[in-house]
Amino acid sequence: MELELGLALPGGDLIAELGLASEKSTSMCRKRGFDDMFCRATSPPLFVQKDGDDDDGDDDDSRFNHLQELNLGSRVLVGWPPVRVSRRKSEEGGKRRVNCVKVNMEGVAIGRKVDLSLHDSYQALFLTLSQMFPKKQHDGEESDAAYYKVTYEDEDGDWMLVGDVPWEAFSQSVKRLKILN
Amino acid sequence: MVGGFRWAAMFPDEVWEHVFSFLPADADRNAAALVCRAWYRLERRSRWRVFVGNCYAVEPAAAVRRFPEVRAAAIKGKPHFADFNLVPSDWGGGAEAWVEAMAEGWPHLEELRLKRMVVSDDCLELIARCFKNFKVLSLVSCEGFSTAGLAAIAANCRYLRELDLHENEVEDNCLHWMSHFPESCTSLVTLNIACLEGEVNVSVLERLIGRCPNLKTLRLNHSVPLERLVGLLHRAPQLVDLGTGKYAAQHHPELFSRLESAIAGCKNLKGLSGFWEAGPTFLPAIYSVCEGLTSLNLSYATIQGPELIKLISRCKNLQRLWVMDLIEDEGLIAVAASCKLLQELRVFPSDPYGAAQPISLTEHGLVAISAGCPMLHSVLYFCRQMTNAALLTVAKNCPNFTCFRLCIMEPHTPDYITRQPLDAGFSAIVESCKHLRRLSLSGLLTDLVFKSIGASANRLEMLSVAFAGDGDAGLHYILSGCKNLRKLEIRDCPFGDKPLLDNAAKLETMRSLWMSSCSVTLGACRQLARKMPLLNVEVINERKRGLPLELQPDNCPVEKLYIYRTVAGPRSDTPSCVWILR
Repeated sequence: MELELGLALPGGDLIAELGLASEKSTSMCRKRGFDDMFCRATSPPLFVQKDGDDDDGDDDDSRFNHLQELNLGSRVLVGWPPVRVSRRKSEEGGKRRVNCVKVNMEGVAIGRKVDLSLHDSYQALFLTLSQMFPKKQHDGEESDAAYYKVTYEDEDGDWMLVGDVPWEAFSQSVKRLKILN
Repeated sequence: MVGGFRWAAMFPDEVWEHVFSFLPADADRNAAALVCRAWYRLERRSRWRVFVGNCYAVEPAAAVRRFPEVRAAAIKGKPHFADFNLVPSDWGGGAEAWVEAMAEGWPHLEELRLKRMVVSDDCLELIARCFKNFKVLSLVSCEGFSTAGLAAIAANCRYLRELDLHENEVEDNCLHWMSHFPESCTSLVTLNIACLEGEVNVSVLERLIGRCPNLKTLRLNHSVPLERLVGLLHRAPQLVDLGTGKYAAQHHPELFSRLESAIAGCKNLKGLSGFWEAGPTFLPAIYSVCEGLTSLNLSYATIQGPELIKLISRCKNLQRLWVMDLIEDEGLIAVAASCKLLQELRVFPSDPYGAAQPISLTEHGLVAISAGCPMLHSVLYFCRQMTNAALLTVAKNCPNFTCFRLCIMEPHTPDYITRQPLDAGFSAIVESCKHLRRLSLSGLLTDLVFKSIGASANRLEMLSVAFAGDGDAGLHYILSGCKNLRKLEIRDCPFGDKPLLDNAAKLETMRSLWMSSCSVTLGACRQLARKMPLLNVEVINERKRGLPLELQPDNCPVEKLYIYRTVAGPRSDTPSCVWILR
């Protein structure tokens, strides 16, 4: 059984679906969630939070349009600050995009979340995982990779062994992780 | 004219043409053309470079007729604020009319530079087919074309030297467009594809640059992986200007050393850009060429301050630096200490919408640069706080500014220490910098700053104003002063009808005026249009509620207004949201 603590308002997605969201991003309604606490997130958003780390990662066009406008009270300012559209787009892409995925370990009730954008290699990822989850009682060597058989669910829904594909490809297609005992 | 200008006939035409060839500026040639009919005729037949600052200021056919021997043309379309989504996407700026006229009248055209225009694939195909000697295509901030159009250029322009695509919106529908460069194409000097979003066939690119020994500028797009950069550099070690592709990869010591040596092999490298997704891992690979760099564009790299400092401190000969505000004050202090030859600095916001953690980039960084870099003359600076004292210091340190653009990101931000408007600071800038040609204002500003600008900014050619001023007086100061003002763009200021109507004649001495979200009424625009037949008064109303504009009353507020001088009369390609008043 997966148990995950979250401090979000229930039905946040429902609000978006019913179109009840205002011009501001729906994530404005969220309190800082579990993932904000344990992934190194940005400071509490006072304005539109662009990188709302939705599980679905819905980076649809309408959200992008909002991102071009600074919310100033009730007025939406088009084209301010005066940053070129192309620069904004690449800032979206090039900037560190928070990429949190759920991690569960077999036999451990409480799952965690890890921000892949803060890692640039499998080694770094395993290090983080070893800090998050109880280590197996093994012969004490520090090779974290040896401890874990980590699997991941990719974008096609298939479960694969972590480490087979280049890190880049992995970090873009991974949906969640599972550590096997 | 006693005796006519007989001296004009003292020398054969060729001599006068030769003399005119030493007049570099169009303004000088224009003046020469006004002297007498003989000179007019001579000058027009010998002008081979033409610059059209507003594509609607003159009929294409008229321009082509007047200067039949043109080899190089540069044309600009949309107003500058189109860069920030303030101009409706269907506003205009289409290139067809010009390209068709040029195809007809300038078959020997070699260079075409278009900025902020809508360029279709048909246009590109026309260019590719009609200009047998075509050498240079530069498209800046354009849209409307696809890689299929680029394929036509590649395939047909046999002597192509420059393909310079800068910040365009290009549809990617022809994956192998670069394969259309024939084997016989060996003339490329500049290839800038940085703005293309699609995949690039790197093997084809390798072969292309391998057979172009004169290639000096190569700017790749984001899709070119770092591993392939090595191969490309091996084939073009003579590069002077390099734009990398994606500057991140799985860390691999072998890749690092191969990259490092490939870059070191480019002994003539003066400019570097690109650096998408750059991180600390591969940045040191460029250390060996830092000393020789004069231009460094890190504005797409989200690298933190300490790494930036390590890098930039090695760039002792840097003249131009574009960077993100992640450099912070500390980084700018390091730049001020290391880059004594710095002329141009641009600091872009890493997070324009203020959602992330605060960056420590303040007025201190700007002051440090102004103190440490005696050759600084051009600044673009995005920040969140400013003081009058800092601006006064900057003004004192840098009397040679030609371009000063300060963007304090929150509108109406006062001096954060004194809570005063920033009038004093900006006034000091315009009073001290006698050669200032371009100025962008921000922060809390009253009409007083405009008084200073109007009085002191004698060389100012372009002024950008946003969220400033108290009332009509502000605009009046500008329009009644600023002798050399060419372009004025204003948004969200309480400027109304009176200063416009009182200074109508001024508008004919300028290229264009943009006003949006101000307090101008339709009635004033109608009056202005009636009074000034050589102006196109374009009213842009996107909301489309109620009556069409012709039937709206005089007191109807105008959302957006674009006024420009023209000898071509009202244009015929206006979309439904634009009305040209007569």
